[in-house]
Order: sequence, then C-alpha cells, then structure tokens
Amino acid sequence: MSRLDDNDLLERFRKLPAPLLPLLHAFHERDGLVSEEALEALSEGLHIPRAELYGTLTFYHHLSRIPGGQAAPRVCTGPICRYKGGPEILEALRKDGATPMPCAGRCDEPVPVLFGNEVRVGSSVPELLSRPSPLPVPNPGAVEECVFAEIREPDRASLVGYERTGGYEALRRCTAGLRPSELIDLVAESGLAGRGGAGFPTARKWSAVAEATGGPKTIVANADEGEPGCFKDRVLMDHDPHALIEGMCLAAHATGASRGFIYLRYEYPETLAILEKALDEARAAGHLGDRIHGSGFSFEIHLRRGAGAYICGEETSLLNSLEGKHPFPRNRPPFPVTHGYEGTPTAVNNVETLCSVAPIVRKGVEWYQSLGLAENAGTKLISLSGDIQRPGNYEVPLGLPLQTLLADWAGGPPEGRRIQAVTMAGLSGGFLAGADLDVDLDEPGIRSKGSFLGAGGIMVFDDSRDMVQVAHGAMEFFAEESCGKCFPCRIGTRRLAERLAQSHGPRDLATWQQEARELSVVMRATSACGLGQAAPLVVESLMKYFPEELEQSLVSGWSGGNDER
Amino acid sequence: MSDRQAGAGQATLVIDGAEVAFEPGESLFEVSARVGKRLPSLCYDERLEAFGACRLCVVEVEGIRNPVASCTTLAADGMVVTTSSAEVEAWRKTLVEMVASENREVEVDPLRGHASQELSRLVARYDAVPGRFAGEPSGKSREDDGNPFLLRDYDLCISCYRCVRVCAEQQGDHAIGIANRGFETRITTEFDGELRDSACVFCGQCVQTCPTGALADRKAMRGVDVPGEIEKTRTICPYCGVGCSVDLMTKGDKLVGVQPAMDGPANKGALCVKGQFAFDFVQHEDRLAHPMVRNDDGELVRASWDEALDRAAKGFRGVVERHGRHAVYGVASGRAPHEAAYLMQKWIRTGFGTNFIDNCSRA
Repeated sequence: MSRLDDNDLLERFRKLPAPLLPLLHAFHERDGLVSEEALEALSEGLHIPRAELYGTLTFYHHLSRIPGGQAAPRVCTGPICRYKGGPEILEALRKDGATPMPCAGRCDEPVPVLFGNEVRVGSSVPELLSRPSPLPVPNPGAVEECVFAEIREPDRASLVGYERTGGYEALRRCTAGLRPSELIDLVAESGLAGRGGAGFPTARKWSAVAEATGGPKTIVANADEGEPGCFKDRVLMDHDPHALIEGMCLAAHATGASRGFIYLRYEYPETLAILEKALDEARAAGHLGDRIHGSGFSFEIHLRRGAGAYICGEETSLLNSLEGKHPFPRNRPPFPVTHGYEGTPTAVNNVETLCSVAPIVRKGVEWYQSLGLAENAGTKLISLSGDIQRPGNYEVPLGLPLQTLLADWAGGPPEGRRIQAVTMAGLSGGFLAGADLDVDLDEPGIRSKGSFLGAGGIMVFDDSRDMVQVAHGAMEFFAEESCGKCFPCRIGTRRLAERLAQSHGPRDLATWQQEARELSVVMRATSACGLGQAAPLVVESLMKYFPEELEQSLVSGWSGGNDER
Repeated sequence: MSDRQAGAGQATLVIDGAEVAFEPGESLFEVSARVGKRLPSLCYDERLEAFGACRLCVVEVEGIRNPVASCTTLAADGMVVTTSSAEVEAWRKTLVEMVASENREVEVDPLRGHASQELSRLVARYDAVPGRFAGEPSGKSREDDGNPFLLRDYDLCISCYRCVRVCAEQQGDHAIGIANRGFETRITTEFDGELRDSACVFCGQCVQTCPTGALADRKAMRGVDVPGEIEKTRTICPYCGVGCSVDLMTKGDKLVGVQPAMDGPANKGALCVKGQFAFDFVQHEDRLAHPMVRNDDGELVRASWDEALDRAAKGFRGVVERHGRHAVYGVASGRAPHEAAYLMQKWIRTGFGTNFIDNCSRA
C-alpha cells in the first residue's frame, strides 16, 4: 500500500466521532513518530490550537516525538516486573532505544516488552516471544462463575463460538421485546455494581442516562486498564470479546444510546486486533449497527486506542481524551450521566461490569445473587500476581476469604517464603499485612481494614521484599501519573515519593511520619479525583504495618531515588 | 450577613450559620465572597471559568463526604456550608506550605505583575513555613526566551494554569499550553519554543494574572531598583478608541510601568501590547525638550515658545487665507495626554471653524 499523505489520513478520520486519537496513532505509525509537521496538519485539520495540541501530545506516555520512537521497545518496570527482570531487560535493550513503561497488564506472565504493536513476554531478552495472553485456569474452588463461566469454551472469542455458548441470547431478548425499563429493573434487582473500582450501582447509572434529556446518548466501555497489577479486562477482551460487545449493546438498549466507544489502553495492541475482528463479525451478523436483529434499535461502537496515561482510566479524563482535549479530569457535578461525551448523557462502564450483564439476563437475577457468599451479590475478578505460586485471573464469589484465594486457589507463596504483604485495588488500596490478611474479599470487608477492593488487582510480596522500596515504587508511579491539575496530588505524590526515596525530607522517624501524615490527610481530603485521594494509602499502610522497616531504612539511609521507571 | 433579604420562593443556603439568598448559577465561592468571606485561592480569576485546581477554597457541605471546591460548586437550595472549620484551615495551611515548597522564593517584587503577591500574601495569612515539605522545585525558567516584554521565570511557577486559561478564554490566542504531566508539568508554546515564534501577541494578560510573579513584566522590572514606593494612578489608555482602564505605576516622578485595571469596564484586565508595554517614549532621551523651528537653510534650530508659536500661526493663517478654513486638518497623537487631545479638537473646531479633526487612536 502506498504511503498515505496527511490529507488522506485526515479525510479518513476527520468526520468520525473522536478523531484525534486515531489520527495521532495513524501519524505515529506512518512516520514512526508524531512530527512537528504532523502536528501542524492535525492542528489545522481538527481546528485545535497548536500549543494546546502540543501540550496534549506530551501528556501521553507512548506517543514519541523522536524518529523511530514508535517502534522502540518499551519495557515494563511495574511493581511486579521490576522483580522479574524488567530492569535488566531494559538495560539490555537500551541500545535499541528502549524506555521503561509503567505496568502493562501482563503481571501473570514474565516481563512484557512492547515492540511497536506487538507485545513479547520473557524473563530475559533471548526469551522474549509473542504469545496470546493466558486463559484463566479452571476455577480452583470449583465454584460457579459469571463472566468466566464460558470463557474457556473452544472458539469462544469467535462469533460462532460465542453464539454456540449462549452468546447474543440476551440481546435477542431485548430486540424481541424486553423493554429498556425492564432491563434496568433486572440489573437493579441483581445488585450489579461497577467493577472498575467505584462500585456504583450499574442500574442507577443507566437509569440516570435513560432519564437525562439531550442526545445522542453514549455508552463508553472503560478498557483503559491502567491500574498496576490489574489485567482482568484484558483476559475478558482477549478471550471473550463478544461478551463486551453484547454488554455494550444491552447498556445502549437500556439507556437509549445510539453510539458507543471502547477506550482501550495503548499497551494492549493484540486486544485491539481481537476487538476489531469481533466488531466486524458482530456488525456482519446484525448484532451491531442499524436496526439490530431487524428491530428499531440501532447502535454503533467505535474502538479508540489510548496513548498511555493512567489518569485516562478516570472517567472524565477518559471523556476529555476521547474528545481530543487535554486529559485532565473534569469538575463534577455535572456528572457524565448528564454531561458526558461532548456534553451528552453518557454511561461509562467498566469492561467486567458490561460483561456481567448478558449472563444476568440469560441466567436470571437469583442465579447471579446466589454466586456471592453471605450478603454479597455476584462475583469479582481478581488479578493476582507477584510472589505467589499460581498468578492469574480468578473469578471469586464476593466474600471469599483472601487467605482461601492466596493459599488454596493460588498455591501460596514460593517455597520457603512467607507472604509479607499484599496490595489492594492494584496499588490504589495500599497494603494489607499481618492479621489484616484475614479478611473477606468484599467491599465492606476490605474497607474495614482501611483499604478497598477497587478493580481487584492484588499483588503479593513475600518476606524477601523491601517494603519501603515497594512503597517508593508505588508512589513514583502515582507521581508520574498524576495529571498535574490539582495541587495536593501534583505536589503531594512527588513529596511522598521523595520522602520514601529519602532524597529529601526529615530523617528521624517521628518527624518523617508527622510530615507524611499531614501530606496524606490533605491529599485524601482535598484532591480532585481518586488518584490523589487514594495515593496516600500506600504510605499510610506502610507506616501502619512496617514501622520498624521504615525506621531501619531511615537509619541506614536506603535510597531508591535512582530507581527508574 | 446577607446583603439581600430572602424573599418568598428565593433559594437560600446556610453559610457558617447565616442564611443567605443566592442567584441561580452562583458558586459557593462567589456567594461566600459576597457575604464578606473571601476564601483563599490561587487558581481563581473571576474572569475565567472556575478551574478547581488549587483546592484552597474547599468547604464542607453537609451530606457530602469529601469537602468540595467552592469555586466549582454551584450554590443549591438548602445547602449547609461550613467555610473555615479548624480542620479545613489546617489543610489550607499545609496546602500553602506544599505550594511554597515548589518555589525558589515566595517574596517577589510587586512590579512583576498585578496578581504577583497572591502567594506571598497567603503565606503570610496562614503563617506558613516555606521550608516545610522541602523537595525538588517544580518549574524550569526559560532564560533563553529573549523577548523584551515577558519574563518566563518558571522557577516560581505553581502550575495554576491561569496564564494558559487567560490566553485561551480572554485573549483567544491559545499561544500557550500545558506540557507533560504531574510535577513535570510545564507551560509551553507550540513545540516548546520561544514566545516570539508562537501565536503570542504579547498582550501581557498572562503576566497580570500570574499569582507568583513567575510571569513578569520585563519593562516594569527595570524599575525594581528605582527608589520610592509604587504609586498607582488610574487613567484611560490613549492608544485607541476602546478606552481600556489602566493604572500608571510611578515611583517619585518616574513612570515605571502600566497595569490593566481589573475592574476597567471596557477591558476587565485586558490590554494590548501597546497599552501594556509601549510607554518608553514618555521618558525617552530622544524626546523634544524645547521648541524648534527651521532656519533659512531648512535646519531645525532651538527657538523660544513665542518664536515657534508665531511661526506656526503665520503658516496656518496663510493657508486659511488662501484656501479657506476647511483646508486645515488636525490629527492628534495617541501618545499625547487626553487633555492635549481635548485641547487639540477644541482648537481645530473653534479656532479654525472646521470639523476636520482626527486622532490616530480612532481605530
């Protein structure tokens, strides 16, 4: 194919919804970088001022502005990969222009390295190879699952396989007459709540969009799985992409939305291809597009690839990113349910949430509720990684004891080791350790320990790990990913990271803790979004569970300041 | 308490125990300011969209778990608001100390810009200790930007983005943007270059809204070492017909700078490059200090006022006698004082009897 010129590219995307991201990627891939000329063409073509566009471009981690930058390797040096050979691979690939990247969501495998649009995994450079992400193992507790129930069926990722195992039955019920209000009632009864971390009742979000005035209404699947230690949405999309599409169609039916977006993180290029194929299949089969199944219901889905920014997993930042604006989170209210994408009523739902809807419609509310333990309704995907025998994604009944998951399901720590701490909600929930590891995996249980379940990423650190160093790595991540808008987060994450690295700040434990507490309290109370509100948990839980280690580190003068991410 | 009575059906809220009526669309920050409680802020400029970044203006609202930024939260009927509990005041002090920690200094010369004292005033108001939370500074000055008007001293930048927002929202130039993320955030032009290569028109509005003096008026800063207190005199910019209000800043008898009047009805803090920066002619050494006339060889030579006025009168009179009164046309200079412009038109209209009078400021 001949090289497309600037105008060809602009013409191809300009009229589509949310054109900036696909255009940036098109130029990035065509030229190997986003050049000044490309930026000028984009500025003119999309009517975005140059300075603003330049600033937005620099916000994203993965858009390179140096020749060959697009193809240059990016090596995961996330919280787990830094102990699995990430830094060594990075050094070995420096000669090829390699740069570090934050957690790329393959924590259940050896270190992922992104080469252009291909992810290779391996423990060292010679071992790096491209392979599909692993399927979840059969449920070790032999308990009934919701979103993983059919994922291991052969060909489930294809339309044929999906339809053979119950796929699109729920959507057929809708197009055959299940009214939007009935669908919302059903989801409300099931108790399904947001699985991306916030836990907002799904039906309430949907009915708010359904009742909102104005349109066209929009469904956004938040597939920007950027939380370190979280890789559950990836496995759903890789092995069950039609489940997401059907879930979005159901959301659109419930809310009256006519357009949808999947906002997929940059680091999942294989997933992008899988989703593209599934969308084509769904369109061709009449499950998507105009007059779905011959009914009056029409809905289209646009796939958009992020460009590397953790904050874009925050729903209003994501919406700004889609709209081609600087991806700062928005002030709320108004909320996206009334003023979302381009100011229209918008439901932003997590992938796992959306994938849960079709099984609920198909198998019933009572079935779904019965999946949880005690008072809990349903299940939760947990991405388990780190110092554990069998890392991977597990669908657990809500309320399962953490120890059951760690010891019985996942085989416990490596031989001869003891679990020192686990993280909750990826990194955002900070650490749990000691007696607090005896906790049930549900939101009230985890919150009673001062943390939260969030998106369900749990990273395990055994007794060989330096927890101050782990905490420092976590805070560096938050500091680098802080968007830079609100003061407490922008300054607080940096100051806490410096104090954990001991490059600045007091050296005696009492003053150190006093400062850290003061910063933490202000960050949690006054930060504008969840990033700054949650980030101090890492330091607070370090002080709570590991005061001796912290003091020892202050005395001996450990410095993690040269740690590169 | 409230400056308006709560009538029947009028929405009200309670601020620090007092019931206050409000207009739809008013933010808690605005209502609060109206009743005499000006909340601390660094990212707020009343001319701009509320931004909610500095979080200094957070208040507690009953029924809402976390405190809210009062600037971005609209007043709602029945709200119960506490603006300054001991806890919130303690957070504000910590926040001010955090902000101060990212700066080279907090005391800056007021000649840097209209809002340049905001951070130092807050440091004083909260008795904040700038040395607390010490760490890396956040900004990076652009010493390479050699334009004659705007000093880009980003070592003092606190990333409130008032400059970026005023450039976009008020001036409409979009000459600057926000590069990078988090603590690495920088104010940038397209491609990170100099202002003269950007869409900047050097209106200076970014300078005047900067709360730390990170953006500073290079021309005014020449007067930093001039002895004396700064005195401000309100006048109207003579350069064009818009009528922007300005404050001329003098030290003794020396004009050191110009600042736009934020309450100027025509400009609300805006100026153009001329009104803002083009005042050097006032004290320029090339200015005429005495009348001059041409001698028989056509050379300009020093003369007395009588000699010069006689020469001018003779010339005008000759023209009127030969060609009539409408052969005279007066153009006043935009650099002359308003009083001189007034006298000029009076002189042309009543002196010659013609309306052929103009001013180069008529644009």
